[in-house]
Amino acid sequence: MLQLSTRPGRLYLPSLTEAPRQGRSLLSHSLPSPAASPLFHPRAPHNHTCWQKRGLQPPVAPQHPERTQKRHGGLGLPAVLASRPLHGLEHTSPYFCKSKEAEIKRINKELANIRSKFKGDKALDGYSKKKYVCKLLFIFLLGHDIDFGHMEAVNLLSSNKYTEKQIGYLFISVLVNSNSELIRLINNAIKNDLASRNPTFMCLALHCIANVGSREMGEAFAADIPRILVAGDSMDSVKQSAALCLLRLYKASPDLVPMGEWTARVVHLLNDQHMGVVTAAVSLITCLCKKNPDDFKTCISLAVSRLSRIVSSASTDLQDYTYYFVPAPWLSVKLLRLLQCYPPPEDAAVKGRLVECLETVLNKAQEPPKSKKVQHSNAKNAILFETISLIIHYDSEPNLLVRACNQLGQFLQHRETNLRYLALESMCTLASSEFSHEAVKTHIDTVINALKTERDVSVRQRAADLLYAMCDRSNAKQIVSEMLRYLETADYAIREEIVLKVAILAEKYAVDYSWYVDTILNLIRIAGDYVSEEVWYRVLQIVTNRDDVQGYAAKTVFEALQAPACHENMVKVGGYILGEFGNLIAGDPRSSPPVQFSLLHSKFHLCSVATRALLLSTYIKFINLFPETKATIQGVLRAGSQLRNADVELQQRAVEYLTLSSVASTDVLATVLEEMPPFPERESSILAKLKRKKGPGAGSALDDGRRDPSSNDINGGVEPTPSTVSTPSPSADLLGLRAAPPPAAPPASSGAGNLLVDVFSDGPAAQPSLGPTPEEAFLRFVCKNNGVLFENQLLQIGVKSEFRQNLGRMYLFYGNKTSVQFQNFSPTVVHPGDLQTHILPTKRVAAQVDGGAQVQQVLNIECLRDFLTPPLLSVRFRYGGAPQSLTLKLPVTINKFFQPTEMAAQDFFQRWKQLSLPQQEAQKIFKANHPMDAEVTKAKLLGFGSALLDNVDPNPENFVGAGIIQTKALQVGCLLRLEPNAQAQMYRLTLRTSKEPVSRHLCELLAQQF
Amino acid sequence: MIQAILVFNNHGKPRLVRFYQQEIQQQIVRETFHLVLKRDDNICNFLEGGSLIGGSDYKLIYRHYATLYFVFCVDSSESELGILDLIQVFVETLDKCFENVCELDLIFHMDKVHYILQEVVMGGMVLETNMNEIVAQIEAQNRLEKSEVTPRWA
Repeated sequence: MLQLSTRPGRLYLPSLTEAPRQGRSLLSHSLPSPAASPLFHPRAPHNHTCWQKRGLQPPVAPQHPERTQKRHGGLGLPAVLASRPLHGLEHTSPYFCKSKEAEIKRINKELANIRSKFKGDKALDGYSKKKYVCKLLFIFLLGHDIDFGHMEAVNLLSSNKYTEKQIGYLFISVLVNSNSELIRLINNAIKNDLASRNPTFMCLALHCIANVGSREMGEAFAADIPRILVAGDSMDSVKQSAALCLLRLYKASPDLVPMGEWTARVVHLLNDQHMGVVTAAVSLITCLCKKNPDDFKTCISLAVSRLSRIVSSASTDLQDYTYYFVPAPWLSVKLLRLLQCYPPPEDAAVKGRLVECLETVLNKAQEPPKSKKVQHSNAKNAILFETISLIIHYDSEPNLLVRACNQLGQFLQHRETNLRYLALESMCTLASSEFSHEAVKTHIDTVINALKTERDVSVRQRAADLLYAMCDRSNAKQIVSEMLRYLETADYAIREEIVLKVAILAEKYAVDYSWYVDTILNLIRIAGDYVSEEVWYRVLQIVTNRDDVQGYAAKTVFEALQAPACHENMVKVGGYILGEFGNLIAGDPRSSPPVQFSLLHSKFHLCSVATRALLLSTYIKFINLFPETKATIQGVLRAGSQLRNADVELQQRAVEYLTLSSVASTDVLATVLEEMPPFPERESSILAKLKRKKGPGAGSALDDGRRDPSSNDINGGVEPTPSTVSTPSPSADLLGLRAAPPPAAPPASSGAGNLLVDVFSDGPAAQPSLGPTPEEAFLRFVCKNNGVLFENQLLQIGVKSEFRQNLGRMYLFYGNKTSVQFQNFSPTVVHPGDLQTHILPTKRVAAQVDGGAQVQQVLNIECLRDFLTPPLLSVRFRYGGAPQSLTLKLPVTINKFFQPTEMAAQDFFQRWKQLSLPQQEAQKIFKANHPMDAEVTKAKLLGFGSALLDNVDPNPENFVGAGIIQTKALQVGCLLRLEPNAQAQMYRLTLRTSKEPVSRHLCELLAQQF
Repeated sequence: MIQAILVFNNHGKPRLVRFYQQEIQQQIVRETFHLVLKRDDNICNFLEGGSLIGGSDYKLIYRHYATLYFVFCVDSSESELGILDLIQVFVETLDKCFENVCELDLIFHMDKVHYILQEVVMGGMVLETNMNEIVAQIEAQNRLEKSEVTPRWA
């Protein structure tokens, strides 16, 4: 203590020296008078019994007398709360440091001290350990790496003292990452605590599992937790924790949590006396029922009756769970969310009760508030919004939908910004319901007004979303023009999105295409920087395909180009359109060919290489369209600045076009430079391209193209023009890795050839999608061996793999998509569970990956015996100083080790009968998620690995397959049968293998593919 | 689900940081601070900061109390207003446990603040919203602690 009291003199408190709010308590707005309780102050030192704050007291500057007026809360401090802070912490606290350097210096000193204490000969007592661990946590909070102390924390776990155990668990929850080698030790401690039957310890252990949530923990405990959850003698607090713990494990690795007889008992927790248990159970069921709706169906009626009891209760009935006069708002919201997982209840009585509830909530919204506090209205409206979401989800009660819409309409003009925001958001979903679309449209003026006047960008963005959602043919012109007007002042952050929306609406609802052309050109004029390639490619496609608009488009771009400063995108569109259709306006002397040319050429020197390349193509087209410009244009092409241009692309174009224009006859020129043909429909062009490119043998090529719209535009984006680089080899292209150009360099090939690609992916999400979620990507690999496993803004991971017998080799390609080097790049492969798959990385990957570069890693894989969980790939690196990490499932599934087996119908049936034990068979009936195409199905089954046997099943629509899974230890024979039912859009899949878990696992894997 | 809980003061100094699905990233804390700081007090308490943390499905929901910002990053399965209430519950609980909580309590009782938070949010899911229940749990912990403490400063 002595040491402490000598210090404060030199210290100061940065955050408390100037802020005008400093006198307010954290909660001042909820308390009668801020002045009466200036809580948010460092405590004044007048109370010696409150010694624990003394070391912390700031030097009270005389110019801030109000600080000392603080009425000290500690006077009435209950003894239990007057707990001792860990002293010495203030030394650690750079709160008192004057500069960053001083902070770092002090922290390093402190770290050295703690390190020496941990390493010292003298055994530390529990209290000291606790203190130092706590200091480490604090240092970590301030953003410094902590690389020691983990072992000490683990040791604390086995302490008998609650507080030591507690801080140990805290350290581990915050600081230990999921693939630490300490996990085994930690798991041991958790196991002991779970078995201790001491509810406090059990809760600590459950908290730790939930907070770390790693796969290893899941494997160790997923089976125990359901037992704890439904055990009759578990305390309420343990049940609560167990429910959420299970939920967390399920979210992290659903395959580890087996459904079982406990599920029925979980549903009955909705009836529990303790509302906290109900709250936790609702969260758990909401998550579980998404994958297994039938198992949890009984929860509907229980949830409805629980909800009805809460909604109809008086504000005092639920006592502690009443929050600012609203009974159990959190639980009500959760119950309403749970009901949104299901269609409206079938049972008329349940449905009636539910509708009554919904009506009660809507009615209550009209009652005068029971309190003026914002918390009251917040809680009430939280329930109301969730009720409206449920009504929208059911989408079957026109009466309720219209009431919901009216309620939201009221909120649109509410003085609370939060409510306006949420109302706009909910209305967006309401707009897509046929019952309420018209009702939503009546609010158009309010929404437009919101777009213009809201102070908050988030709200304006919601307004723009809603306008987009409510747009139809009747109001498209109004909405598009309002959005265009808004664009002029819109926040930079949302401009690109608005541009895309305008472009989509303009195209979707265009009655006459001149309006469409005007709109897009306006877009470029107003927000040229935000008009992505997709948008201007699209206008070119549409103009090319519709001859009624070509003349108008030529005239309009010609006029637009006359502006003294016009955006480069305008030059691109102008160049392209005049090159194709300039002849349509050449009759007018004001836009005669020489005028057109000189207008374009006046922009030439200000443009980027890509645009200049496009303009050169326009010039050669001009030579064809207007022979009178030939001499001028040849002069331009011949100029040293073109023929000897440092840029290869420009130089090549200039040389080739110059030669073409001099040697080719008029006829040849006219043929070569003919007007572009109409662009083909999107699907056909892309499918054809894929088929051409991948060639035969790539079994998954077909569905590859169909399922991956995002890769289409990537692949297309770098389709080289004939004049540029050589065609990439098919395998490299399959990986799509060449497809990510370094961001700094614009694609050099933005010539005409590039425009062949339809760049609009489905729907509004035309921004470059970053591909499927890792889980989806993983599932795709079940039936194929090559492709992109993962992609985000920074990194792309491609996979190429081959498997033979029980061996496999996998190439992983890591592409750095940024222009910045990745440091400490380390991809590692871990095998969860027993070492059933044996993986040897052949060589280490370089620790640095340069911007735009790609590195390769090779894995050799040996399957020792059958396995269910795939190995995990964990990639860590630093990007611009920030550590990045991700963990992915490697696409190694048991079916990769399939060896197809051909056999005759007789053999097949004989073997089928041999495998007739109930546990040898796994069957699944499921809805088709993709169009039911026999060819695609065949390709998938072959990709899955089994042989396809014809003439076995009497029904030719059905598929029958056979194969052997090869592992080092054993072979597993496997027969499968897939029966599509086109009418019901369902499949039935039956698998029989000699090993029970393999049947089930294969069945799961394969069922997700259709 | 709650992806992260960040508490920082008006100067951006982190006071409580808890990530539930990924490792703590100081950069996220800093950027979130800059996003939140430039917002007026009267505009809405939700913002899309998704690209920072979990992707576009995630929202930042925050509340400003005196010198501290409380920011929760949540996905679309949570109700926005519900989370605002939850923040209020958390702060009121802190206030009860610390008798007029102030920023310094968060610094010098960091462990305690974590324990209180753990009674409210567990692994990103809400465990308990009843303030009295939470306070009772904390008091029980304090009693346990007290029974274990042997005075050392005498």
